[in-house]
Amino acid sequence: MAQHACELSFLSRSDGSALYSIGLNVALASVNGPGDVKVSNRLYNRSHLEVCYSPSTGHSMIRERALESIIMRTVEQAILVHLHPRTAINITIQEMQSDGLALSASVNAACMALLDAGIQMKTTFAAVTCCITPAGTVIIDPTEAEIQESVAEATFVFESSGEASVLTAHQDGRLSYEDFKKCLHQCQVASRDVFAFYRRMTEKKYQNEAES
Amino acid sequence: MINTNGGKIIRQMHGGLESVRVVLPGDEVMSYNPDTSEGSIYLGPGLRWEDGMVRAAKAGLLKKTPRQLYFVDTHQKRYIPQRREYVIGIVTKKKGDIYKVDIGGSEQATISFLSFENASKKTRRDLALGDLIYGQLIVANKHMEPEMVCIDAYDRAMGMGVLPAGGVMFSVSLQVAREIINPESPFLLTLSKKVKYTVVVGMNGRVWVKATRQNNMVALMNCILMLEYMTPEEANDKALKVLEALML
Repeated sequence: MAQHACELSFLSRSDGSALYSIGLNVALASVNGPGDVKVSNRLYNRSHLEVCYSPSTGHSMIRERALESIIMRTVEQAILVHLHPRTAINITIQEMQSDGLALSASVNAACMALLDAGIQMKTTFAAVTCCITPAGTVIIDPTEAEIQESVAEATFVFESSGEASVLTAHQDGRLSYEDFKKCLHQCQVASRDVFAFYRRMTEKKYQNEAES
Repeated sequence: MINTNGGKIIRQMHGGLESVRVVLPGDEVMSYNPDTSEGSIYLGPGLRWEDGMVRAAKAGLLKKTPRQLYFVDTHQKRYIPQRREYVIGIVTKKKGDIYKVDIGGSEQATISFLSFENASKKTRRDLALGDLIYGQLIVANKHMEPEMVCIDAYDRAMGMGVLPAGGVMFSVSLQVAREIINPESPFLLTLSKKVKYTVVVGMNGRVWVKATRQNNMVALMNCILMLEYMTPEEANDKALKVLEALML
C-alpha cells in the first residue's frame, strides 16, 4: 500500500481544509459551511451540497464533472444534511498532483476536510483504489503505469462504522464476479489502515488539549 | 468588561471536566436505553442517540462532566447560532423596525430597535451600518432566523449594546473564544498586568478590544491571536514578553 500523508487546516481562511496524499497523488480539499446559500439552491429540509473539482492543469471538463458527481454522491451519504436546513456546504477540491489515484485522494481529502471543519456526519469514509493485472493479481493503490497495463481498475468507498459497508463503487474495465469480489475484499481490508490513519491525524490535532 | 455572563456555564463544567478520548464521526460512545439503563445522561453538541447507541457526529475530544453531560469539543471556525449565547454582530441592513446583523452564521440575525435598554418608539436609537453590537441570541434554531437582543429579562443592558467607536474587532477560532471567555483562564488577566484595556468576546469567535493607544490594541490583538497556534499554558507564559515586544 502506498504511503498516506495528510495536513489538516492547510488553508487559513476556509472553515476546514486538508492536504492529502497517497503516494504521488496529492489533493487539497477545502470545506466551507454550513453557510449562506443562493435562493435557487435553498432547500427547506436539508443543506445544499456543492462539490467543485479543479484539475491541476487546464479547464474543468467532463472528467471533472464526473468526479464531482461521484464525490458528491459519496459525501451526501455521510453528512447529516438534515441538521442545517437552508444552508450550503461547499467542498472545493484542487488536484495538485496525480498518478492514477485522483479519485481516492480527493475523496479522502474531502473526508479529512469535513472532519477539520467540524461538519456533523454519520460516519467517516475512505476510498481505496485497486487494479487487476492480466495475470489476475490485485494491486492496491496502483501507479498510473500499473493501471495502464491492467485489465480493470476499481475504486471503493467504505464507511467506518459497522461492517465497513460500501458507499460508492466505481469501475473502469471489465471484472468477472470473482475478480470483483476479490478486489472488493482486498480494498476493504486496506480501508482499515486508512481509517486508522484518520484517527492518528485527528488525535494529533487534539493531542495538546487531551494532555492538559 | 470581561464577560462573565457567557462563561458561567463553562465554569460549572470546568469543575471535574474530564476528557475521555478523541472520537471520529460514527464512533460508538456507549449504549444507552432509557428503559433499562441506570441513571440518566445528557448529550451535548456532537453526539447523537440512535437505536439505543450514542454515537459521535463530529471529530474532536469527547468530554464528560460529573453530572453525566457528554459532549464533543471540536476545533471549528464556523459559528452555528445557539440560543442564549453572547455574540458580536455587525449591522448590515436596516429594514423598518428591525436591523439585520451579521453574526457569522449561515443566516443574518435580526434585532428590533426596541430591544435596547431604555428604548421606546419615541427615543429611537439610530444604528449606522457597520456598527458593532454585543448582544444575546434569544431565538436560534435551525428552522428560524436567529434573533438578537441587547437587554436581559429585566430590561437591563448588562453590558450589552452598541460597542463604542475606537476599538478593534477581529475573528478567532471558536475554541479560542471559548478559552479566553472562561473565567478560569488567566490569559486576559495576564495581559491586563501590562496594558489597561476593555475586551468583549462573542461566542461566534469575534473579539473586540479597546485600549487607549492604537499600538496597544494591535499588540493585544496579536497576543490573543497567538492562542490559535499555542496551547493556553504556553501562550500565557509568553503573553507578557510578546506584548512588551509588540508595544515597543
